[in-house]
Amino acid sequence: MKNRLKKLTSRNEPYIFLVLLAVCILIEIRSGQFFSPNNLVDIASAMIVPGLMAIGAFMVIVSGGIDVSFPALASLSFYATTKLLLDHNYQGGVVLPFLIAIGFGALLGAFNGLFISYFKLPTLIVTLGSSSVFKGLMQGALNSRQLAVIPTGMREWGKKALFVAKNPVSGLTSRMPVAFLVFLFALVFAFFLLRFTMFGRGIYAIGGSEVSAERAGFRVVLTKFLLYIMVGMIASVAGLIRVCMMQQAHPTNMLGMEMNIIAGVVLGGTAITGGRGTLLGCMLGTLLIVIVENSLILIGIPTSWKSVFTGALIIIGTGVSAYQVMHQGKTRSSKGKKQEVAQ
Amino acid sequence: MGESLLKAVNIYKSFVGVEALKNVTFEIKPGEIHCLAGENGSGKSTLIKIISGVYTPDAGYMEFEGKRFSKITPIDAIKNGIQVIYQDFSIFPNLTVMENLAFNSELADRRKLVNHKRMRQIAEEAIAKIDFKVDLDAIVGNLSVAEKQMIAISRALIFNTKLIIMDEPTTALTRREVSNLFKIILRLKEMGIAILFVSHKLNEVFEISENFTILRSGERVASGSTSDLDAKKFTYYMTGREFQVHRFEYEKVKEEPIFSVDKIGIEGSFSNISFDVHSGEIVGITGLLDSGRTELGLALFGIKPIEEGEIKMRGKRIKLTNPRRAIHNKIGYLPEDRLSEGLFLSQSIGDNIVISEIDNLSKAFGILDRKQRRDEIKQWVKNLAIATPNPANACQTLSGGNQQRVVLAKWLACDLDLLILNGPTVGVDIGSKHDIHSILQDLAKRGMGLIIISDDLPEVLENCSRILVLKNGQVVGDMLASESDEKKILSYMM
Amino acid sequence: MKKVLAMVLLVLVMVPVLFAAGKAEAKSNYEIVVVPKDASNPWFVRMKVGVDEFAKGTHHTVYQRGTPDIDATLQAQLVQDLIAQGVDALCVVPVDLESIEPVLAQARKAGIVVITHEGADLENVDYDIEAFSNVGYGAFIMDNLAEAMGGEGVYTTMVASLTNGSHNEWADAGVAHQKANYPKMTLLAAEKRVESFDNGDVAYNVAKELFKKYPNLKGIMGTSSYDAPGVARAIEELGLIDKAFTSGTGMPLDNAALLESGIVKSLTLWDPALAGQAMIALAIKVLDGEKISGVVDLGVDGYTALQFKEGSKTVLEGEGWIVINKDNVYDFGF
Repeated sequence: MKNRLKKLTSRNEPYIFLVLLAVCILIEIRSGQFFSPNNLVDIASAMIVPGLMAIGAFMVIVSGGIDVSFPALASLSFYATTKLLLDHNYQGGVVLPFLIAIGFGALLGAFNGLFISYFKLPTLIVTLGSSSVFKGLMQGALNSRQLAVIPTGMREWGKKALFVAKNPVSGLTSRMPVAFLVFLFALVFAFFLLRFTMFGRGIYAIGGSEVSAERAGFRVVLTKFLLYIMVGMIASVAGLIRVCMMQQAHPTNMLGMEMNIIAGVVLGGTAITGGRGTLLGCMLGTLLIVIVENSLILIGIPTSWKSVFTGALIIIGTGVSAYQVMHQGKTRSSKGKKQEVAQ
Repeated sequence: MGESLLKAVNIYKSFVGVEALKNVTFEIKPGEIHCLAGENGSGKSTLIKIISGVYTPDAGYMEFEGKRFSKITPIDAIKNGIQVIYQDFSIFPNLTVMENLAFNSELADRRKLVNHKRMRQIAEEAIAKIDFKVDLDAIVGNLSVAEKQMIAISRALIFNTKLIIMDEPTTALTRREVSNLFKIILRLKEMGIAILFVSHKLNEVFEISENFTILRSGERVASGSTSDLDAKKFTYYMTGREFQVHRFEYEKVKEEPIFSVDKIGIEGSFSNISFDVHSGEIVGITGLLDSGRTELGLALFGIKPIEEGEIKMRGKRIKLTNPRRAIHNKIGYLPEDRLSEGLFLSQSIGDNIVISEIDNLSKAFGILDRKQRRDEIKQWVKNLAIATPNPANACQTLSGGNQQRVVLAKWLACDLDLLILNGPTVGVDIGSKHDIHSILQDLAKRGMGLIIISDDLPEVLENCSRILVLKNGQVVGDMLASESDEKKILSYMM
Repeated sequence: MKKVLAMVLLVLVMVPVLFAAGKAEAKSNYEIVVVPKDASNPWFVRMKVGVDEFAKGTHHTVYQRGTPDIDATLQAQLVQDLIAQGVDALCVVPVDLESIEPVLAQARKAGIVVITHEGADLENVDYDIEAFSNVGYGAFIMDNLAEAMGGEGVYTTMVASLTNGSHNEWADAGVAHQKANYPKMTLLAAEKRVESFDNGDVAYNVAKELFKKYPNLKGIMGTSSYDAPGVARAIEELGLIDKAFTSGTGMPLDNAALLESGIVKSLTLWDPALAGQAMIALAIKVLDGEKISGVVDLGVDGYTALQFKEGSKTVLEGEGWIVINKDNVYDFGF
């Protein structure tokens, strides 16, 4: 029992969970609205796109890299998809749009993957560059501007609800989008992949030590290449979901969201140096960011102080996990000493 | 002795025109413990990489159990039962012991899915082979160096292993961990596994190996049975030079000590320690890793200020609350891990030498006197025979021994009264070690007081006039070097 | 290859000259050209509709000529060609103020009258026409919101960001207009102004939060073209249709569905067709030697009482805003 408790306290998730709980309670006290059914559904719905993005960003960070291109990648692929369908006056359902977007995502992800895995270039440099390339393609080749009208199938799917939550007091209602199922599916898929496949363990192994992974027999180049393709696909799905939910395709709206996503992943205890982190922590961190971003008015933070508050939260959150790591380092060395004495 | 397990015959290998190996022949039999020795750059690592298939030789061939190969791949090497344990152990610090143990064989079997049950079984079998007790769910990064090494060894045994190559396996181990490792090596020998042990440490070579091969500048200079080897020959083969080992002799010049500590202590590290250092004297402090020796060194330089007792410099009481104060009082410190603590590796050699006396070199308004700085650097590079074409080169271009000399120069430039050295020759090859020892003795003769903290007993005996033995933070032995030997010191230490 | 390319370019350059040669007959009339940012953007296609309509009703030679893409360099070249062609007046909607400025200077040197639209900071112009003043437009948006809200209830304002110049001027003017004219309406004291970052999704989430936290909130005055559509999504989802309202700038076709469904009663905008006509009318006045001072009437809807912008001798501001609702949403073609 004591052992299990110790294991729990040495992990990051309980802390982030406590912070999360504290924030929720603060919002509840300030607004009386947090735990209302419609607000919870609102949070879940707001979590879909950042959550999907975070899954991709998380896997890249675990592998020891960092990807800042996923919003640009997603924007290019959803924009190209929507425009293509509009140009062909597409009237069908939502499956084809997703297949096309996933195809674009895989292609663009392969572009990143090629430079990162085969040419072994630093991930930050590559993704900074590809991010510009993707934006340029969108603005130059596709002449991008807001597409206020999207294909009917996408529009209808975006408004489709699993269920509608109603606040018994105010009568306000909120839809739980069908897209939430996609997010859940991706989450389960990523969990299975990272935990139960050699490919997923390979991502962790590469993040821990690329040289060791190579020597152990992991196909490092291939693993990384496939990883970036997969991340491109996930980001594109997230992008298209956002288009459907927003009922319009705006080419630049998503740009810049990488910072908060990466902050959420790191907040959840994922080591920025790679190799360490859990999907649970990553989701908790992202959820915390999503909740805070969507509750500042509920808390009553003045608009002009908004970014200060989010920034402070990120510093405190990452500070806590950094302190954790430092603390662990200390107990480790003292433990080592004790063993030496005991021998 | 029967058939040889592995034979590498007339191997040549060069890299962009530089010959790393010249006509080297090497042989090892099943169950043999063989030591491959040589200084840095002698070609040891190249030979290992050729045997394990990482490099292809330019000429020559290899034989595994009589089968002849002109070149092999790493996979061939593993299939033929060769496993290499690198200095970094090739582990995943972020993963569990179980995964670290099981991954290699799972990958070799081309598994796509993770089966925790099967992996646990593989891991359990692996550690059972060497009776290694460890929590399979522990994260490897949290384990000690010795435990990581055991994981690497256990992992190597999963395959049908016939030869394990260990690259400098004792570097980061304590004395007790080393003897534990040797026990395991003997056990592997009983299992019929041959061990190729790469080292440049004299005592280890004698203690564990049956046969040896010594490389120097890419050539095999000697090989044979360890019983035919002695310290003097070993050193000669390694360096190509003959060294006169002379014990340091101290003559008391002045009764008055330059430095004395009285009943000093830090809660949890050491307590009630008193001793004096006279001008021209070298005091050795030895003890096990947890004896408090390192903490004592840090305290004397003000990094970890003392909590009780007092320190006097030339009879005057001083308070060492930080390293700047210690430097001000003409005390210098050469850290244990010279790479991380003592040098700015990416900065130039020259800058590293003058960094500590930066105050002395500044003119008004903190502007550096460039000419004086240049002269200063030139002088030390010459005095300490630092092998560099240009002092403006970065420190990391130097070999370990030369780096150590730079650190020495850095402190000597400050015109010190007392120099504290912690493990001055850890990781330094034999030639440089001798050079450093003679520099230290020379410094003492010029009137400086020195404290050498080291668990290298021959080093302490050879260079110190007086030896203090620490155990659990207490002085348990205080003797003159001339009246003691290794056995006596060890009996106090353990 | 290069030669072929050179030939093609030469022909392209010649085309306007040939074109001009054919038109040179009607010398007693003025030749007035409207140069939009580009020829394909629906906004300027709509402007062309206005220009063509104006051409039908006048004896002057009036037409619109645009580059195929939005490109400041191409626009400058086109204007230079027109100068060489010797037109009487140029009505330009500049892509980039800096690169068009020297070309406009050339035009004026050549005696050509220069009228611009959305170029208030240009110096080398005779006059610049703005569809409206910021104060006037802000008040107009408020009128719209007040009408939807029935002239009573709590409201707040939304801008792209607190640092955005025109949005905040509109919002300030809207609030001032409410205080003067709609006594039963009150500005939400706790959140007087929120940000949407020109992002429909942010507008949507912020609106949701506002309606949750302040149950008596009845209206949100949007400014950016992303505000009202985003807020409308929130109104629809929260089940507040006909209970909460929003207003703001918006393009007709983009918001057709919203307007038809009745979630948003009306949006506000200015009509590029009218702006194009106003420019031409002003150019004719200048060419006729009429004195432009005081309140100017161009005879175009919304441009019948143009006034000089405070402190400016070239910028004229109209009242060229229009209301878009479900009845006229398809009339504009953009």
